[in-house]
Amino acid sequence: MMTDHLCLKTVLLGLVLSLVAGCSRSQEYPNRPITLVVPWAAGGGTDRCSRQMAAHLEQELGEHVNAVNATGGKGVTGHNRGLGARPDGYTLLMATLELSMMHWSGLTDLTYEDCVPLMSINEDYAALFVRHDAPWKTLGELEQAIRDNPGSLKASGTSSGGAWHLALAGWLMAGGFDVDDVVWISSTGSNPSLQELISGGVDMVCCSLPEAAALLEGGKVRTIGVMSPQPVAGYEEVPTFVSQGRDWSLGGWRALVLPPGTPQPVVDKLKTAVRRIVTGETAIVSGGSAAEGTPSIQTFPEFMDAAGFDRTWREGDELQTFFAETDEKFGVLLTSDAMKSVNTERFNSMTWPAVLMGLIGLTLVALVATHFAKGKTPVTDVPETVAKADSTETAQEPISRQLTGRGVLNFALIVGGIVAYCLTVEKVGFPIAAGGLLLVLLLSLRTRVSVGVLVTVATVPLMWQLFAGLLRVPLPRGDWGF
Amino acid sequence: MQAIGQVFAGQTLLVILAAAAYGIFVGAIPGLTATMAVALMVPLTFFLNDVQAVAAIVTTVTCSIFAGDIPATLVRIPGTPASAAYASDSYALTLKGQHERALSISLVFSVIGGLFGTLTLCVAAPQLATFATQFTSYEYFWLYILGLTCAAIVSDESRLKGALALLIGLLFSTVGLGTDYSVPRLTFGSDDLITGINFIPAMIGLFGLSEVLRNALAIGRGDGDAAPLAPPPVESTGEGDPTTEWPGTLQFAVRRKFSLLRSSVIGSVVGMLPGAGADIAAWIAYAVSKRFSRNPEQYGKGSVEGIGDATGANNAALGSAWIPALVFGIPGDSVTAIAIGVLLMKNITPGPDIFDASKDPAQAALVFSIYVTFVLANLILLPLGWAAIRGGNLLVRIPRRILLPLIVLFCVIGSYALNGSYFDVTVMTVMGVFGFILELFGVPLAPIVLGLILGGEVEHKFLQCITKDSSPATFLASPVSIALAVICLALWAAPVAKTLLKGKSNIPT
Repeated sequence: MMTDHLCLKTVLLGLVLSLVAGCSRSQEYPNRPITLVVPWAAGGGTDRCSRQMAAHLEQELGEHVNAVNATGGKGVTGHNRGLGARPDGYTLLMATLELSMMHWSGLTDLTYEDCVPLMSINEDYAALFVRHDAPWKTLGELEQAIRDNPGSLKASGTSSGGAWHLALAGWLMAGGFDVDDVVWISSTGSNPSLQELISGGVDMVCCSLPEAAALLEGGKVRTIGVMSPQPVAGYEEVPTFVSQGRDWSLGGWRALVLPPGTPQPVVDKLKTAVRRIVTGETAIVSGGSAAEGTPSIQTFPEFMDAAGFDRTWREGDELQTFFAETDEKFGVLLTSDAMKSVNTERFNSMTWPAVLMGLIGLTLVALVATHFAKGKTPVTDVPETVAKADSTETAQEPISRQLTGRGVLNFALIVGGIVAYCLTVEKVGFPIAAGGLLLVLLLSLRTRVSVGVLVTVATVPLMWQLFAGLLRVPLPRGDWGF
Repeated sequence: MQAIGQVFAGQTLLVILAAAAYGIFVGAIPGLTATMAVALMVPLTFFLNDVQAVAAIVTTVTCSIFAGDIPATLVRIPGTPASAAYASDSYALTLKGQHERALSISLVFSVIGGLFGTLTLCVAAPQLATFATQFTSYEYFWLYILGLTCAAIVSDESRLKGALALLIGLLFSTVGLGTDYSVPRLTFGSDDLITGINFIPAMIGLFGLSEVLRNALAIGRGDGDAAPLAPPPVESTGEGDPTTEWPGTLQFAVRRKFSLLRSSVIGSVVGMLPGAGADIAAWIAYAVSKRFSRNPEQYGKGSVEGIGDATGANNAALGSAWIPALVFGIPGDSVTAIAIGVLLMKNITPGPDIFDASKDPAQAALVFSIYVTFVLANLILLPLGWAAIRGGNLLVRIPRRILLPLIVLFCVIGSYALNGSYFDVTVMTVMGVFGFILELFGVPLAPIVLGLILGGEVEHKFLQCITKDSSPATFLASPVSIALAVICLALWAAPVAKTLLKGKSNIPT
């Protein structure tokens, strides 16, 4: 017991000291890790830009900047997360053009007006790709083919109603076609679409130039044109739609934004940092190539060029006007009668779930029927050694015999504890919420109080270090900053 | 030659060692997937040179996919989804005190499978890539149907219950805003549900939390709150030192050489198809293993054959996932998607020319260094994996009343860490209670996870197919489609054939 107590005191002292040390840090923004919310999956274009931006920001601000992918719901999830966060400058969002689209299709109320824009860092225009052996060389030839056989060609690139689908639809409408004259095959992104293209599943893919760079360079696909006002830097040989007589352009953008209500000094500080980054005034050490030896220094624009991304940047009023223009363009497209007729589903979205529910019902009926037919639950004969372990594993005995007051209490405390954790953690912070949860559960399972406290005090800071420090997975912080 | 020199440079070896330790560590934490391990590492690769960056990614993935077996075995929470297929088997062995046996088999079979996948990558990447790119939505549709078939037939103890679990998983996968529809489904007005049900927190809840809840109820009955999860090792299996397991494990691997080869081939083939990865490979290998096994009744209750075959396949899939990535720049899985990003950043553009030393010696050397790293990563996994198994040995000795609360905390953080979302924690909790209830009725949990993983894909591919052409005949238009359909049919029909052959224990092949 003596040693127990001594040990406990030392650990507690250590914890208090580390807390004090934590509080004595600079009060000026930023003084703790910053989270950059990325609404798209790891490995994609937005993710790559964001992680590079995070590395530069980190150097510029002197605090960790962690990129977190919050994916799903066609971008709704991430944008909601980023713009709904506490407006203290510790959560940034890499917004994408879906912010100008989602509200038109009624997926969310968020618009570009619900954020504090810092700077747009990139604009990638839609381009049209066909297989290398496709019969059409120019936009004119392709349009003639569509005119001759409307509805026979298939295109893909993103989900139905996604940005690249709208780009294609806008082109068709500008050319006087029906939106359905090219059948859009919904897909989960540019990679699976390009796979479909080279395997012959679709005839053309609409996506940005860097997304298809590898296949383009390998000669597997060709471009018909890019939907930009001017030729794209790095792809000067690709003709624009405008130069081929079709006045249509549409591009995606990525912009760093903050939740509304962020204090002006924080916004200004971040703006200065981001401006320095996009103009190439900052640099991070880059390993370069093993064959060439010495590591080099890379600026953000150098990275964007190397990865094939456009690096047009806009800020202030220019950015606001740009946002407003894109938003209007999408509004016209998404509310047009032609697009509405495409958006009404080809297939009823509830058919498949209904079929599944029907099958589940049938299976349940069959299970009940077999149960009564046999009079009891069928017990398969298994070798004895297996059967012994199995009796604890599948809990064959009736539930009523398993229930004891304590057991039910334990059960309820675990479930209730997790719920309580979720409800309080944003207020009190991870250490207190997790410590409370752990201690309550330890005690409810009849661990001695001293052991319980010791385990809690030892584990929670360790987990904090492990996730927030070592793995840099941001854990929730409360109102008191930890 | 230059490539070997680059890989064996002191600094690169150090990077590999660090990445291996990191990979094991992250893979062993439930909720942190191999993809996440690599994504978290991307900022570090900025500072490494190209060979080191690729070496770090390759090693991290190899080690984390094995390490996912560790929590799956010890506390029945698959560390990565690739371990879900055989989590029940390896955990059953832990309850019998044989966790070291399970884990050393996992380790050895992972390494052999991984080396086979590397061999596939080295020998036939350009040729195989051409095959892989012939897959259109029709072939993928059949591949996913094959995956679902496998999930249904592995639980043939009560086929109805297995089917029920699978259907529940498929139904869960329809929740939210899908690719093909502009309106969310089954969200009941909740904004959170628009995202859908993420299978990682669902998996942690179904397997991990439900087991904690079951144990917590049992503790109330007074039996064994101070007892650890696993009973002390049975005498015949040695004194708790995993080194005594090695001779037995190696003998076992030699005895299972043909099935190991079969699993490795399955893993390599599934792995190189973009959109199918280590997790589906593990399922298919597990189901095929069961079909051809002489002891199919042990599957799901601690079958070392099932563990070995499935874990070999998921590691074999890792190497071949690089095939389409390197040849066409189309990633075979989410990890290689990140890897392509890193390669592009280092001014290396994947493409058929990347293998041609006469065109660009530096790139060809880099590709060669990927092969060398894969071999090294698998070899370094042996000692480090062994150390991790020893560490896990301590875990199962912790009394339950301390271990269970710690597992609860890990379930909470693990499900939160993935997306930084409390909704995911809620999903984990609800699935925990749901899984607990299902297990009371003897419904297997693993098919739910596969239903969740594949449900969206199978519906999406089906819709793609019928948007292209509404005639059903197109589903069987290509030889690959027909072959996959026939395999599905054979897997369903095999038990019937078995009955017709009057209970011969071995299926004629």
